Amino acid sequence: MTGHVRTGTTAPRAPWLTLRRREMFEGWLFVSPTLIGFLIFFLGPLIAIVIYSLSEWNLLSQQMTYIGTANYQDALTQNPDFWHVIRNSVIFAAGLVPLNMTLALALALALCRPGRGVVFFRTAFFAPVVTSAVAWAIVWKFLLQGEAGAVNQMLATVGINGPNWLREPDWAMVAVIATRVLKMVGLNMILYIAALQSIPRDYEDAARLEGAGNWQIFRMVTWPLLAPSTLIIMVITTIGSFKVFDHIYLMTGGGPENGTLVLAFYIYEQAFEFFNVGYASALAMIMFAIVLVLALVQIMLRQKGSA
Amino acid sequence: MHPRRLAATTLAAMTFITAPLAAEELRFTLWTGNDAHLAIFNEIAKGFTETHPDVTVSFESIPAADYTQKLTFQLAGGNPPDLGWMFEDVIPGFVEAGVVEDLRPALEAAEGYELEDFSEPAMALWSEKDAIHGVPFSTSPFMIYYNKDMFDAAGLETPPELAGKGEWDMEKFREVAMALAEANSGKWGFEFKDGQGYDSRILHAIMPAIRVYGGYAWRDGDCGFDEPEAVEAITQLHDMVFKDKSIVPPGEQGDFFSGNSAMTVNQISRASLLADADFEWGIAPLPTGPAGASPIIGQAGIVVFSQSKKQELAQEFVAYMTNPENSELMAEFFPPARHSVLQSDTFVAANELIPSEQMAYVGKAIEEGHVLPSHPRYAQIYAAMKPRMDALWRADADVQTSLEAVCTAIEDQL
Repeated sequence: MTGHVRTGTTAPRAPWLTLRRREMFEGWLFVSPTLIGFLIFFLGPLIAIVIYSLSEWNLLSQQMTYIGTANYQDALTQNPDFWHVIRNSVIFAAGLVPLNMTLALALALALCRPGRGVVFFRTAFFAPVVTSAVAWAIVWKFLLQGEAGAVNQMLATVGINGPNWLREPDWAMVAVIATRVLKMVGLNMILYIAALQSIPRDYEDAARLEGAGNWQIFRMVTWPLLAPSTLIIMVITTIGSFKVFDHIYLMTGGGPENGTLVLAFYIYEQAFEFFNVGYASALAMIMFAIVLVLALVQIMLRQKGSA
Repeated sequence: MHPRRLAATTLAAMTFITAPLAAEELRFTLWTGNDAHLAIFNEIAKGFTETHPDVTVSFESIPAADYTQKLTFQLAGGNPPDLGWMFEDVIPGFVEAGVVEDLRPALEAAEGYELEDFSEPAMALWSEKDAIHGVPFSTSPFMIYYNKDMFDAAGLETPPELAGKGEWDMEKFREVAMALAEANSGKWGFEFKDGQGYDSRILHAIMPAIRVYGGYAWRDGDCGFDEPEAVEAITQLHDMVFKDKSIVPPGEQGDFFSGNSAMTVNQISRASLLADADFEWGIAPLPTGPAGASPIIGQAGIVVFSQSKKQELAQEFVAYMTNPENSELMAEFFPPARHSVLQSDTFVAANELIPSEQMAYVGKAIEEGHVLPSHPRYAQIYAAMKPRMDALWRADADVQTSLEAVCTAIEDQL
């Protein structure tokens, strides 16, 4: 007779819900709202866009055909509008980022310490950030009229014959950059003010005791200590400038003569005017890559500079 | 409970529960949110439910600027409305994509519909061979609006007076516009439609002139902007903008409705903006040209979407909504393309802001007018055309060269 030999005793089973497992479970539970949101609203669409970008999909006719990398090849090698659009986006970013950051820093330096009127001016410069983009565009379109516009009338008082700002391609780009800077500079100003206020006064006092002047204190003490904030502000502003859409849509519609047709607006046109969702997705992926590379380059330059 | 009674009670309960489920809802998208407009549509829907007690019609307003996009996304997302309004410039694309239904059988089957009552030019855009893909419920011609006070200030005869004498042509239009600009300092003689003639309303700005000069925008894959008639027409407008300085130039604002321009072109629906105007105004036909008169109409139609699961009912509702009685009801805001309504006393008295003799111009223009050029790839054509048109509207631009560039830019799309 064969059979299992009973030992007569069994080892006590370890509880399934160990402390480690319980902590892990709780951890996942805590991050799950964000994680689910990330998967549904970010990772899911991102994967979908990659798939769409490899297809020819006309939204209206609902015809979707896999075409491999043809959309990317068309954009990068055959579509002259694409490079024109990239050029415009680079000009916009190259104009907006330094102007915005310089102005924001100057305002922050002027308004970071308590004083008479400081609250008023901080509010005044921040107000455009929370102003409706539509209202902002309507007002500026009115002010930037050719002959009857307030800007040109003011220029005329000092003998300058102002251009037809929004109807001449080069001046239109200048106008959209300037009005965008005025709208958004308040945000960077606040970030710089916060950064400036976090720098201990001791450093400045010590430098002053050593005989340093204002410029030397700024260059040798304040500016280096602002570097981490400057990096963040630069990355955010650069990304924002490449993604600009509403401002262009409202101010110029990409014109005149495609002079302000930037990448985000071009993607919108392809997706929502022509319903070429596949092509628009490929353009969106290219924009994603450009912005990612720019952000990484800025971070690497910063790390190299501080090493 | 007795089994029979139990069965009867259960049956009654089931009937009660399933009755509301049997009710059908037609979802109708449109781009107006105006209460007066919606009141008329709800009244029509109420009339429909008298013969279809289980049916409700819900009107869903989507702002005009987003209308086509949202509609397309609803269709693509499997959440289609059953029927809805359709812009004239997008219907060819929707027809080509096969997303709207042929309504002819339903319209012909509807009692008292009188399909032949519709003006033929007005149906052209919505018909393809024997199929009718939409019914134009609004056929609104472009008229000249004029500020009588500014004409009086310049000591000029008004456009209706000139039209009455047969003198209201493009030459007179130029002469009058210049005289108005000179007599009303700081104001303009003429403003393109809604001040958008250099942007989204390019065709509205140039087509009236091109057509009365005998030209065309495109037809059968051929671009007509660089033909002599179109060049001559645009040259006149260009001269009026930059030499005469009588038309509001690009980059400036000269709103007619605020009294800053003496004339503009628009549809009668815009008359509501002048209800409280502090100046006297009127409407007149578009000026004629070397090729005679060529009224232009703007249209909106009602379509039934192919994805709708209530095809029969939706098509029946379109036939009901656009029958002679309901067309008359809608005429106050939406001029119909039906001969019988246009020639009726009800129509000329339909708009309380516009005198009946001027409404007669509207009726005549609807009967004789043609829609703006359309194309299944209109969005692409517009995008290709726009930058070249921007270059045209510069003071130093050569009109012929600029229009040749327009044709080169759009020929692949045609």
